[in-house]
Amino acid sequence: MTGAAGFFEDLFRGLLQGTPPGSVYALIALGFVLTYKTSGVFNLAFGAQAYMSAAMYFKAHTLWGWPKWAALAVSVFVLAPVVGLLLERLIFRHLRTASSVSKLVVAIGLSVALPELFNRAARFTAVSGRRISGIVPDGASVYYDPFGVYRFNRDELAMMAVALVGTLLLGALFRFTMLGLAMRAVVESPRMTELSGIDADRVSAFAWALSSTFAGMAGVLIAPRFNSLSSGDFFTLVVIAMAAAATGKLVSLPRALVGGLCLGWFVAEFNTFLPGWSDDHGWLKPFQENLTPSLPFVLLFGILVLWRAIGRERETSDPLAGVAPPPPALAAQHRHPKLTLFTRVFGAVFLTAVGLVVWFRADVLWMHLVTTAVIMSVIYLSVTVITGMAGQISLCQGAFGAIGGFMVFQMADRFDMSVLAAAVLGAAAAAAVGAVLSLPVLRLGGVWLAIATLAFAFFFDAVIVKFSWVGGGPTALLTGTRVPRPLLGPIDFAGDRAFLVLAVIVLAAVSAAVIQLREGTLGRTLMALRGSEVAAASIGISAARARIVAFAVSAAIAGVGGALLSMHQQNVNYSANFGPVNALFWLVIVVALGARTVEGAIQAGAAFALFEPLILQGELFAWILRGEDHLPGLFPISGSWRVVLFGLMAMQFARHPEGLIEYGKRRVEARIHRRLPAREGAAA
Amino acid sequence: MFRPLGKASAVWAVLALLASACGNSPSSDGAAPAADTAASDAAATATTAPVAPEPDAEPEPAETPDSSEATEETEPAAEPSEEAGATEPEATDTAESEADEAATDTAEPEEPAVEEPVDPYPQRHEFVALYGVPGVTDDEIQVAVIGTNANNPLGTCVLDCFVTGIQSYFDYVNDSGGVYGRRLVVGELLDDELIANTDRALKVIADDDTLAVFLAGLLPHGLGDLHEARIPTFVWNIDGTQSVNRDTIFTNFVIGCTTCTSRGLPWLVREAGGSRVAFLGYGVSANSQSCTRAFADSVELYSAELGIEAVYLNDTLAYGLPNGVGPEVTQMIDAGVDFVISCMDLNAMLTLAQELERQGARDQITMLHPNSYNAQFVADAGPLFDGDHVLVQFVGFEYDVDSDLRDAYHQWVSAHGGPVAEQTMVGWINADLFLTGLLEAGPSFDRPSIIGSLNQITYGADGLINPIDWSRQHNAVVEGVPDYDYEQECVSYVRMEGGGFVGFQPAPWMCWPNDSLEWSEPTPTDFSG
Repeated sequence: MTGAAGFFEDLFRGLLQGTPPGSVYALIALGFVLTYKTSGVFNLAFGAQAYMSAAMYFKAHTLWGWPKWAALAVSVFVLAPVVGLLLERLIFRHLRTASSVSKLVVAIGLSVALPELFNRAARFTAVSGRRISGIVPDGASVYYDPFGVYRFNRDELAMMAVALVGTLLLGALFRFTMLGLAMRAVVESPRMTELSGIDADRVSAFAWALSSTFAGMAGVLIAPRFNSLSSGDFFTLVVIAMAAAATGKLVSLPRALVGGLCLGWFVAEFNTFLPGWSDDHGWLKPFQENLTPSLPFVLLFGILVLWRAIGRERETSDPLAGVAPPPPALAAQHRHPKLTLFTRVFGAVFLTAVGLVVWFRADVLWMHLVTTAVIMSVIYLSVTVITGMAGQISLCQGAFGAIGGFMVFQMADRFDMSVLAAAVLGAAAAAAVGAVLSLPVLRLGGVWLAIATLAFAFFFDAVIVKFSWVGGGPTALLTGTRVPRPLLGPIDFAGDRAFLVLAVIVLAAVSAAVIQLREGTLGRTLMALRGSEVAAASIGISAARARIVAFAVSAAIAGVGGALLSMHQQNVNYSANFGPVNALFWLVIVVALGARTVEGAIQAGAAFALFEPLILQGELFAWILRGEDHLPGLFPISGSWRVVLFGLMAMQFARHPEGLIEYGKRRVEARIHRRLPAREGAAA
Repeated sequence: MFRPLGKASAVWAVLALLASACGNSPSSDGAAPAADTAASDAAATATTAPVAPEPDAEPEPAETPDSSEATEETEPAAEPSEEAGATEPEATDTAESEADEAATDTAEPEEPAVEEPVDPYPQRHEFVALYGVPGVTDDEIQVAVIGTNANNPLGTCVLDCFVTGIQSYFDYVNDSGGVYGRRLVVGELLDDELIANTDRALKVIADDDTLAVFLAGLLPHGLGDLHEARIPTFVWNIDGTQSVNRDTIFTNFVIGCTTCTSRGLPWLVREAGGSRVAFLGYGVSANSQSCTRAFADSVELYSAELGIEAVYLNDTLAYGLPNGVGPEVTQMIDAGVDFVISCMDLNAMLTLAQELERQGARDQITMLHPNSYNAQFVADAGPLFDGDHVLVQFVGFEYDVDSDLRDAYHQWVSAHGGPVAEQTMVGWINADLFLTGLLEAGPSFDRPSIIGSLNQITYGADGLINPIDWSRQHNAVVEGVPDYDYEQECVSYVRMEGGGFVGFQPAPWMCWPNDSLEWSEPTPTDFSG
């Protein structure tokens, strides 16, 4: 065979090989578009919905032995629409006019909570090597070779067919039917739609049931590609498929289909040719080694950053969409003086009591947990800055934290540098990376900014961590990324109590800095930008500059926290501490409890570290009941419920962006305000 | 535009002052010393199978505690003196046959000289009251087990199987009177839910009511804390690197070097009839990448002697293979690959095998699986893996060995309802290693004496593993320098056939001397008997 003929055969085979994964991406991208067009939600929980149906199908067919049609009916045509209807009725019906960022946060909360909720409710766990059986008979074992170059099995053909037919049917639905028009209209303006005599609630419910059914079908079709069902795999696929959805700017079904297929083809061709080329041309080797595992994330980031049309895309036609009402004032700002005094005294007494108990009574575990809570509070203050103050969603805070952690590891390991000095360097490095990252994504804003940061987080995870000058390479594999505790003059922080003091000092310093920023020019600038970017620009505020500073400050804080966490654990422990999915949970827990205040971050830190042992493991109840023997049988409760609970709590973000605790405080104080004057009047 | 924070110069001055006083604490684990290698050179291979008769009746296993429950209730131990009386050893088969021979050879039959096996631990049932030893009462010796159950993305049996092996071993020991008049008990059983290893380890440290810890986590965190607390810890070989520089951490297989070459791999390629080898690994895992490259280096190092060559290497695959491996398999076929060595999990091996079958190359390409020694997994795959090989870190079940420890394993793990599988065997061996430490330490044992005594011996699990000289092997290994390495490099492979495994080596182990990297033919070795 000639070289040219061989090249074209490889090229053609690569296209065929890329078609099944491309169809997977297309199915997910179509799901994104369908959900976005019918609800206005960038549904990061699509993978969670798909996972639930796939797991249900697996359980019914493979484990319980149901016939395929029955398993399919239950998982796709019963479970999926029911989930969709519940989501619409309980959550998204109330969010129709919420900002896209708020809806995204809710979807992130769902993506975290739903798989765990299903696993717990259905008692489902991944089963090694038990591949899900596709919906067609002998789907994995009967092959067809239409071109004599590459064989497709029946499952793959079914998946491709559904992707194609789904595009056509959904396209027809939107283009030619009143229902499709009504669904789009409800997203644009539900009130205007109702004025036309259309029941917006019913249309919205149908839209969610339809999109959820599509997610379920996609899940069942995709699942045979995995040899063990894990929700994490579905989430990764969703992140990859975002690139395809982005090519359709979330509104074009045909573009999403083509985008998905192109993504599959591109990855396949890349994997077909680049290894050979890099053997011949050494300079290509680093690209091949580092780009291959991260290619989908690089593509996603590239599409978002380089395709100017995405930044210009308006998320809604509502003329007031660019204007957000000012958030409600913090409860503390209009508190009754007596209540303020009482709150301060109570707070001081409570913290002193907790401090004394921890200092004198805490064992090594509780000292560890409390220190972790303090350090996580530092890290969560980075979310306070970027989300609470700047109103932006960053999903790469874990990467910034890891930069701080790896910096102290490298500096201490290679140069025997003080870890405290290295932590400062780590914060500076994280700030620099944050600032540089913010430059290309500045114009995106909103949902796309969040997705770009997520792509960066996965890129960091797939490529950067592996470099020996970051993650330590083979040496770290053998001895770990060990980090010593600091020494400051005569003060040795090796002891847990001493290190807790250091962590508290850092938290106090960072808290003061964040309050200073919030009350200062930067905070007011960011608040103005949150209200209306156009109005802010009209009075000379530079959105670009403010956001770069916010990103840099946020990254620096995360870097400091990451460095502290590594010193605390005496190891960077990247996968357990800083992975992309961890950072998702960070956002969820902070926005659930309070993203606007320092107290919110501290409460989130405490919840992260202490909720499981205190509440779920039953320590608090055991203390109240005077002994573990008196605990009810339901304890200890799995730590997975923490994920479920805070994931579901994050759904309140759209209605109460200040966080549940701040919202609760405002309600309590409003109630007290109503009663105090009455009492004072009665007394007079 | 931005308001300065104020008094910047004072802040800088304070920072400069602090910077001048900064340092790193010498007492952190990061600076943990290497194991004390000045231990006795007179190390002996230790075997600890209790000197007990074959139990006539079916053993009654204790109930394995549920993962969600913390403490197991156990019956009090039987009287040590009675149990000791019931543990008279029987004459061995060898002694009997020698006696028969003697009887036929001589005209005047003499009383056959039955050689009593010498119990290396005659004090094993001696009770000494101990005070202040964590986890030890007059009746029980309690240990904790930490491992991954929930959130295991691989879907394999880890914690449950690991603890089944440990519990079965404890039942076995307890059935013959326990040790030092006490029963061995699994107390706390903690599911690390994949990422909470550190919290679980600290809980064990804080509770301070266990003598030792067994750990089988998919992520190895928390071991530094256990080491600092000086708790003897016995870990699954997936965390085999964690014993390096930590003299309190013991494993059934030591990984002292992640980049060193091996003669076992090229030998297997030749034995399997392969000559053109491909290597596959994950791009997102530094561990997988390092493993892939070390394997490739191994083949390249001995390519001239064995007539084999590395022709394809791809250590950049996406975890979980979401894009499939179609292009990679095509390239391997084009490169004429006939043997694939992988550093991927068992689910990925299934995906790879299916793609090979799709492209019509399954019959021509043999694979080496690093992690697929799982009978259920292979049975579910049917004939798909036929002809492939699996690396086993102990003597595969398919090889006959003269090991009481393994005989007991089959009997007690089956009685316990557990699967005969890698993870139960790992738990079983780790439990035997723990008992070895106890017996070596003597009746007045405590944590330091267990650690100290283990670090003076060579442990071989009655022939089930390549013996580990714990007086040397807590140190990192440098390629070609035998000081801290295994005395011999040994491998044990099994072949997959008909949805199961078969042994094919002439002996359970194929070994090479570790004092040189030169190629030599391996010596079939059996450490048992």
